[in-house]
Amino acid sequence: MSVWATLAGGFVGTLVLTTALRTANELGLTRVDLPFLLGTAVSRDRARAKALGYLLHLAAGETFALVYYAIFIAIDTSGWPLGALLGLLHGIVSATALVNVLLPVVHPRMGSELSAADSSPLLEPPGFLMLNYGRGTPIATLLAHIAYGAIVGGFTSLAG
Amino acid sequence: MRLRESSARGHVPIRDYAAIGDARTVALVARDGSVDWLCLPDLDSSSVFAAVLDADRGGRFALEPEVAAHVQRRYLPDTNVLETTFTTAGGVVRVTDAMALPGRDLGPTRELIRRVDGVTGQVPMRWCVAPAFGYAAVRPRIERRGRIPVAIGAHDALAICSWQAGDAQTDDETIFGRFDAMQGSSALIALSAAHQEPLVFPQREHVEARLEATSAYWRRWAAQRSYDGPWRDAVIRSALALKLLFHAPSGAIAAAATASLPEEIGGERNWDYRFCWVRDSAFTLDALLHLGCPGEAEAFFWWLLHASQLTRPQLQVLYRLDGGEHAPERTLDLDGYGGSRPVRIGNDAAAQTQLDIYGDLLQTALIYTDAGGRLDRETGRRLAGIADLVCRIWRQPDSGIWEVRSSALHFTHSKMMCWIALDRALRLSDAGHVPAGHASRWRREALAIREFIETRCWSRALDSYARYAGGVELDASLLLGVLLGYESSSPGRLTATVNAVQRELGHGPLLSRYSGEDGLPGAEGAFLCCSFWLADALARVGQLDEAIQLMDQLVALANDVGLYAEEIDRHTHEHLGNTPQGLVHLALINAAVSITKARGE
Repeated sequence: MSVWATLAGGFVGTLVLTTALRTANELGLTRVDLPFLLGTAVSRDRARAKALGYLLHLAAGETFALVYYAIFIAIDTSGWPLGALLGLLHGIVSATALVNVLLPVVHPRMGSELSAADSSPLLEPPGFLMLNYGRGTPIATLLAHIAYGAIVGGFTSLAG
Repeated sequence: MRLRESSARGHVPIRDYAAIGDARTVALVARDGSVDWLCLPDLDSSSVFAAVLDADRGGRFALEPEVAAHVQRRYLPDTNVLETTFTTAGGVVRVTDAMALPGRDLGPTRELIRRVDGVTGQVPMRWCVAPAFGYAAVRPRIERRGRIPVAIGAHDALAICSWQAGDAQTDDETIFGRFDAMQGSSALIALSAAHQEPLVFPQREHVEARLEATSAYWRRWAAQRSYDGPWRDAVIRSALALKLLFHAPSGAIAAAATASLPEEIGGERNWDYRFCWVRDSAFTLDALLHLGCPGEAEAFFWWLLHASQLTRPQLQVLYRLDGGEHAPERTLDLDGYGGSRPVRIGNDAAAQTQLDIYGDLLQTALIYTDAGGRLDRETGRRLAGIADLVCRIWRQPDSGIWEVRSSALHFTHSKMMCWIALDRALRLSDAGHVPAGHASRWRREALAIREFIETRCWSRALDSYARYAGGVELDASLLLGVLLGYESSSPGRLTATVNAVQRELGHGPLLSRYSGEDGLPGAEGAFLCCSFWLADALARVGQLDEAIQLMDQLVALANDVGLYAEEIDRHTHEHLGNTPQGLVHLALINAAVSITKARGE
């Protein structure tokens, strides 16, 4: 297994994930916009936030690819089915914990369960399974992450 | 929510609407404080408020005193920020409405701000947001994010953030509240809209700051306009209205802010005007340059060239605001303004053949280069290709400037515009902007067109050019021959035509568009732009006193905040058709400029 192949898979997988969520967005299934959510954590400027958000999202995609790589090494197996399974798990964790719980806690412009009188949230929080962003959000997110995982797993196994 | 009692089918007169906007979308605010039209995120997107087209199901944002009130309105001077003052028995309250311009800080995608200031006494107020996404086809889901009520459609969501405006309550389809406006109090309601992204919940100080910044921007923009002639207030208001119709991402200017407001109450002449017509391009560029708007003029000219590149060398009658060429027409299941059905969106006129638009485009290019603009070689070749096309097609009949849906005819105005197309191509080639390889053909065909007009389109019976070759009817579009510089081979014919149009189509200061049929049942009001064209033409043919008198009468026909719809009823002076209409405001500006020039000011 090659870490470079995994990183290449992470790059392509992130592009596919982003495009899939964007397509779901255009189809009216969800209002989730991960680059926007990530970018507004570091900038109040809308245009700059969008641009930075795409970079942060790509960096996150590569970071998760490395986590996948560590798992592949640990169990000495890779391939697109295993990648897809990890993607499913990754999607569930994202929808229930990462974006739903962790992002609001660390995001300086988003309200969370910990918010009190001294905070003034600006951004709509995702809610459980990110359902605040539309009823199609969980399924779109899961499918996009399964595709991401399959691509990372597939690229990793291609390099032998 | 209180139903309107005073007007049929819950509709208020079209002249009761004021427009606010941010050069992305426009909201129509009625005198009673209800926002009855708003499309999100852009002007040509689907509506979230369309009570103007269906009082029961269209959706609106009402904000009004709970008791009877006398209403006075104005725009804050030189802005597109509306101020409505309600005077009641118990006190006076002032509502300030604006579509906020985005600042540097993280703010909503679109934001409608409504501030309620108590002036004197105590006035019980109520408000109700009844969103109806997707032209009322998508039932909203009302939820809360913390204390903030939100309404959710498919692609879109709204948050209603309010301060000192009472408890925001919700039911299945609406968000509402009530409060007392006391002397010195200031309530604020911000409608924060998101399209395909999470909502942004603004903070009060940011909303207040954006409202101030928005007012300041409009004042600054108006102060930069260079016009200082007569009817200055009307001209600047027209400039501000045009700026509302501007589509900031592309530079296009919509013909009007609305769709399917009827030309006849109860009739079927209901069209979507949220597109950019090539027909209006020369007037648009001329007006923008006269007003000292070089940025907007540059953006508009190049948008026009880029949009028309898709269909070159043929031109479409209209293009979408994003430059696209598809504008399929369909009808909506809405009641229509005053029962005027069908309610149409999209516009099938896009696919019509109109020969006049080639003259408009080449005239626009000439105006641009005369003002110092430069054309690249590829653009020059494209314009030459358009002149070649005109040589090939000018002998065909067409649907004419008014997009009649009867059979095609040899409209005189279309032939005049074909002559103008070739004449302007020759002038552009003389100046080196357009390749001159086919200039001799353009010259030859221009002579042939003029021969056709002078022999086939002149009516001795009318002592005027006729509406079409061999016809005995008149058309106000013949005035454009004077305005755009058609050169008749017989001196006096254009002046005679101006007088004939005034005599035969005039009803006081108002003009019908034409006599004769147009393939549609029913009647229409007087087309306001034609009256301003007449004032312009009178000034150009030397009848200055008549032009000034007419202009004074026309300026008085605007609504209480200086806006015009497309048409006006000849008897009641009620506004009809889509509003505010860009072509009317363009014609007002250009007529004022022509009269100023004729007076030597």
